[in-house]
Amino acid sequence: MRAGRVGKSHDRPFRDSHAAKPVASSPLTESRPVIMSKKSRSKLWFLVHSWLALPIWFFVLIVCVTGTLAVVSQEIVWLANPQMRASAPSDDAPRLSYDQILAEIKKAEPQTLVQSINRPDESHFALDVDVSYPDGRSLTVYVNPYTGVIQGTAPNFNFKAFTRALHGWWLVPFTNGFSWGWYLVSFLGLPMLASLVTGLVVYKRFWKGFFRPTLRFNHGARIFWGDFHRLSGIWSIWFIAVISITGTWFLIQALLSDNQISISSEPIIPAMSREAVPLSSDGSPPPRISLDRAIEIAQTKIPGLEASFISLPGNAYAHMDIGGRGWYPLMYQTATLNPYSGDVAASRLLSDRTSLEFVTESMRPLHTGDFGGLWIKLIWFFFGLLLSMMVLSGLLIWTKRTALATANALKREHKKQRVQAQPALRRETSEANL
Amino acid sequence: MSKSTSVAQPSRLSMIWHKWRFHINVLLLLIPLGFMPKYFADAALFRGDSGLGEREIGEIQVGPWSLRLAELRDEAPRSDGPAGYLKGFNAALCDACIEPVKATYLRIGKPRSLRAAGSIFFGTPYRMGIQLPVPEKTRADAELWITMEGWDGSMHQASIPLSQASPATVAWLNKQGAKP
Repeated sequence: MRAGRVGKSHDRPFRDSHAAKPVASSPLTESRPVIMSKKSRSKLWFLVHSWLALPIWFFVLIVCVTGTLAVVSQEIVWLANPQMRASAPSDDAPRLSYDQILAEIKKAEPQTLVQSINRPDESHFALDVDVSYPDGRSLTVYVNPYTGVIQGTAPNFNFKAFTRALHGWWLVPFTNGFSWGWYLVSFLGLPMLASLVTGLVVYKRFWKGFFRPTLRFNHGARIFWGDFHRLSGIWSIWFIAVISITGTWFLIQALLSDNQISISSEPIIPAMSREAVPLSSDGSPPPRISLDRAIEIAQTKIPGLEASFISLPGNAYAHMDIGGRGWYPLMYQTATLNPYSGDVAASRLLSDRTSLEFVTESMRPLHTGDFGGLWIKLIWFFFGLLLSMMVLSGLLIWTKRTALATANALKREHKKQRVQAQPALRRETSEANL
Repeated sequence: MSKSTSVAQPSRLSMIWHKWRFHINVLLLLIPLGFMPKYFADAALFRGDSGLGEREIGEIQVGPWSLRLAELRDEAPRSDGPAGYLKGFNAALCDACIEPVKATYLRIGKPRSLRAAGSIFFGTPYRMGIQLPVPEKTRADAELWITMEGWDGSMHQASIPLSQASPATVAWLNKQGAKP
């Protein structure tokens, strides 16, 4: 165990002399203090690195694990619920149009009212249709996109929503603005970002690890977890940066919202005027335009729009919304229509966003990885697992080395009846060297 | 934490502290565990599994039509920042009014006209909701007015005392009034 560590720390003076090469002409006596201060500085960074997550390691771990699960929560539900799968009756079966879907639902359950239809990104998912039943329940039902058959209702326990709530706000309810659980979790973005930076500072010339990956299995658990921590750390630089920066954005978002600061350039669309809604002499609701017609109209406003969701009007004076992803997969483009006349009341295109909104609206999809289908999700899931393991390996390294060393030091100090506290502290930091 | 004290007096307590100090944060897990029943109760409430709302007010006749009204939560209005205080109500229309009713509104105090009928319900006739603004200066004996508008242009109104619609809101208003 010790050999590995000594070997590692032997690298250090060598590296430092390397770094001092440009000032090689200066006398040795002068370069010496430089070495010392560099060394103690990296010791300090190491201490900062350890302390960032150590006191809250379990909290960080659970947030990482639930976040990792949340990435693939939809897929997990898909695996557990056959009714969520979009099985085609034959290989060349065409998908039904939204109007045909509505008609099939109407035929099967005449009383059921559809509120919105959502076509998930991945084609193996059935359509999510939000419906309202005569008994007052509002549920999501899974509808086959090829046949229009209502395959089942979403299970009572919504795993996807639960993992997201646990990960996102620690289940603390939102009562007045953002929940304090949201603040608790999103605050972790800051120590995570600091862990990344200090980790790279401590791990000198970390880029060498890309070319000479080290993962020693036969030198005991401490060496293995140390290698693991460093190796997964350098390969996760981009991911940790993405997660911590977007996580910090969630903190900023809550702070902005709770202080009533808006950066949105999106206009508020007023409800339709009384004149825009036709009356009918016989007292029955006037006809609305068909969904397929509505999509056609939306496509004239948003060229190339592939409608992935439609929300039907929430009341007689409300609009309908149609939206889909544009060429930039992280954002949706939407059109808001008068459901009686088909007039476009508003549209929100990629080009309508300010450059600040391009950044801020990209934050959430970058955090969740749900913008490019299954493969992106799997990449996010894998690195999420790795990040969770980094929390765990960091803790293991600490307990196996530093904490043990500290405890031993304390015991020794006690035996020797030495009251001076300095040696114990120094031992802890020197043993903490990588 | 001070190292010098723990070295000087390595009591049993400080040894336990040193051993477990980094595991205390496991207790943070008690937060989501504690909120879990509330989370599932809320999920059931929004799905409509536990009825129209936390507290049913009952069937209210509005001209030829009627609706069932409920408080979303049996509690005082919630602050919504600059928008003031909002109180959630849910409603379900009678079977016969699903077709002819165009819109349903709620307002504290009698509306002067259809244009000032108040806040409009969102949702389906089976279950629709509203976040009704409740001014802090509302009198405790105020009335809640329901306006229903037909597709043929007709309009019908009914009212119930606020104390019947939401005792929690009236209690909150009384407490507000007690403030100087």
